[in-house]
Amino acid sequence: MTAAFMSTALAGAVALANPYEPYEGDTLVVNFPAHPHYDAVLNVLPLFTEETGIEVEVDQLQYLRMRERQTLELTQDEGDYDLIAYVVFSKADYVFADQLHNLARFFMDPALADPSYNADDLIDGYVQNIGVAGGTKGYLPGPTGSLFGIPFGSETSVLGYRTDIFEKHGLEVPETYDELLELACLIPELEPGMGGLASRAASGHQASHAYLLHLNPLGGGVFDDNWQPIVNNEQGIEAAEALKTIVDCGIEGSTTFGPSEAAAAFAQGQYAMFLDSIAFASTFEDPSRSTVAGNVGWAMHPMGVERASQTGGFGLAIPRNANNPEAAFLLMQWLTSPRIDRLIALEGGNPSRFSTYQDPELNERFPYSATFGEALQFADPDWRPIIPTWGEINADLGTTLSQILTEDLDIQEGLDGVAERARAIMEEAGYYTWN
Amino acid sequence: MNIQAANRLTPYMFLAPAAAVMVIALLYPIGYMVYASFLDWNPSQRIGEADFIGLRNYINLWNSDSFWESFWVTIRFAALVVSIEMVIGVGLALLLDRKLRGMSVLRTIFILPMMIAPIVVGLMWRYMYHPQVGVFNRWLSDLGLPTIPFLSDSTWAFTSVVIADIWQWTPFIFILALAALQSLPSSALEAARVDGATGWQQIIHIKLPLMMPVLIVTCLLRLIDAFKVLEVILVMTNGGPGLSTEILALRISRTASEFRQLGEAAAMSNYLLMLLMIITAIMFIYTKLNDARVARIKAAGAKAAQAEEEAV
Repeated sequence: MTAAFMSTALAGAVALANPYEPYEGDTLVVNFPAHPHYDAVLNVLPLFTEETGIEVEVDQLQYLRMRERQTLELTQDEGDYDLIAYVVFSKADYVFADQLHNLARFFMDPALADPSYNADDLIDGYVQNIGVAGGTKGYLPGPTGSLFGIPFGSETSVLGYRTDIFEKHGLEVPETYDELLELACLIPELEPGMGGLASRAASGHQASHAYLLHLNPLGGGVFDDNWQPIVNNEQGIEAAEALKTIVDCGIEGSTTFGPSEAAAAFAQGQYAMFLDSIAFASTFEDPSRSTVAGNVGWAMHPMGVERASQTGGFGLAIPRNANNPEAAFLLMQWLTSPRIDRLIALEGGNPSRFSTYQDPELNERFPYSATFGEALQFADPDWRPIIPTWGEINADLGTTLSQILTEDLDIQEGLDGVAERARAIMEEAGYYTWN
Repeated sequence: MNIQAANRLTPYMFLAPAAAVMVIALLYPIGYMVYASFLDWNPSQRIGEADFIGLRNYINLWNSDSFWESFWVTIRFAALVVSIEMVIGVGLALLLDRKLRGMSVLRTIFILPMMIAPIVVGLMWRYMYHPQVGVFNRWLSDLGLPTIPFLSDSTWAFTSVVIADIWQWTPFIFILALAALQSLPSSALEAARVDGATGWQQIIHIKLPLMMPVLIVTCLLRLIDAFKVLEVILVMTNGGPGLSTEILALRISRTASEFRQLGEAAAMSNYLLMLLMIITAIMFIYTKLNDARVARIKAAGAKAAQAEEEAV
């Protein structure tokens, strides 16, 4: 064997050892939401181009607008996006419409799949909630399920509270819903002008989300096992009453709050408690964006008849009409790898891996990470139904709840209406075909 | 074909290609929307793959309480904003239709709001209405008055979006009404003045009837626009609280993008289209009836001018 041949063979081997090389110089177009996690991602993303030579162009949109844009893009023969971040409730729509790549074929490809990826380390509840489709109920894991997305910017719910206010009045951190609701209304009495618990409540999706935060811990659900709506049962009523109590003991204008407004009100010292996604924690600890930095404690989502916290947020998927699905998979894999998950978390993003939550540097920089890791044990993948009809039911539930909160619509009457309309929607969609 | 007939047809032949393009460009999308309204079509399907379901979308909407609620919110909103904008816009035009120093600057300032993008208008008003940091509630607090839940109470939210629309679109009425005023035949006004008509009488009996063709078209344009308003309300209230500000355009957008029911959204659009066609027809009939009155006033003015000339 000649030296020249040896040299060529070695060069080939080296080239083949670099999975990114075939795509060097390519540009991937990704669609990300305007969200604290993705703001952190943007700080780390240039490293990908530096390491791989693959350029990345980011189209960042508000998350509900992002869904609208994706709805249009995913139906094209050739889409603009190579990689999308999708909000969790889009999973059903996109998979049902066969618009996402099943990830199995990429993970089976030895040229693409990184042997050190360690998928077992991904937070299980998030993978089930955001990534799996086709299994139990069509959206939960089961023998017929497949993986269509990887959690990225996933969230669970935790309770943030003002340590200074709690210390000043000798208050105990609420463990149960009874304690939570009592404190929500006691705080405005102790601190005039301050609201008890900052919550989303704006008409539509936001009010519905806030209601669901309380529904599972209080033992309720949207549907029973036969897809019959049960939002109007005793537990459903109790969850709506809890939301109404929280809003009534809030500050003026709180019925227009989305998550950002609720978080901003807490960050500006207008509330003593905040029960929502972990995504806002780094904002609260940033003195340039929060007047309560250094005075925020964190606890588990309070318990009702059971402990349950939300699963939500975003996942990454490759559209079926992507121009460069292989390179998109490499980017997806890189972004969710243990090394990069940690780097993003250090920038204030939400970890997708158990190991990241155990990282000493992360826990030193963000002491709340330990509580969040603990809360994840109770993150419920069945926290909301991720089915194609959910959009319509969610909007109806949210506007009805808004009427309950702002127009004093009777709770039972309002939720009976939601249940009746939901049943009609489910029937038309064929959910009772086999009954 | 004789030469005379050919001459008559020639201009139509030259116009035909452009007219055909116009008709196709205008009618094809409308036909597409009408066809879509008979389908059970979601965005993940191509239109050809969707099931034909006849009138089911229309019937479902007809039986939907929330659709009718949005429908009435839209009608109330459009009727209220357009009537108030017409009164203020025409009133301002009558007031400012005079030669005074600085009038051109004032006119420019009046038309500034309509130059701002609707999204920005929505954001701006949303922050002005904010319960804690908004200027309105700050002023009320400074005066020792109770604050107002501008966007978090159903009645106030509706009023608040109406005010924002009036702020933005009154200048549109003003600018067209002013143009109409300044193009009125001077002979009719001169004749009325000679006859001793007061300023108020001139407005009621001469200026307004002569302006009416322009005002009707202006009103129609604003009505059509008010029925389709979306961005300002989307940003300010997102249709809430409850359904109190959920106008049809917002519901159509949600039905298409959130509920992923393009067929139903198309049917909803067609209901809106039918309503607008009825309103347009009524207004054109009224314009025809007013034409005779305008002709009489113009004739009287011309006669008076001729008499004056003869006297000179």
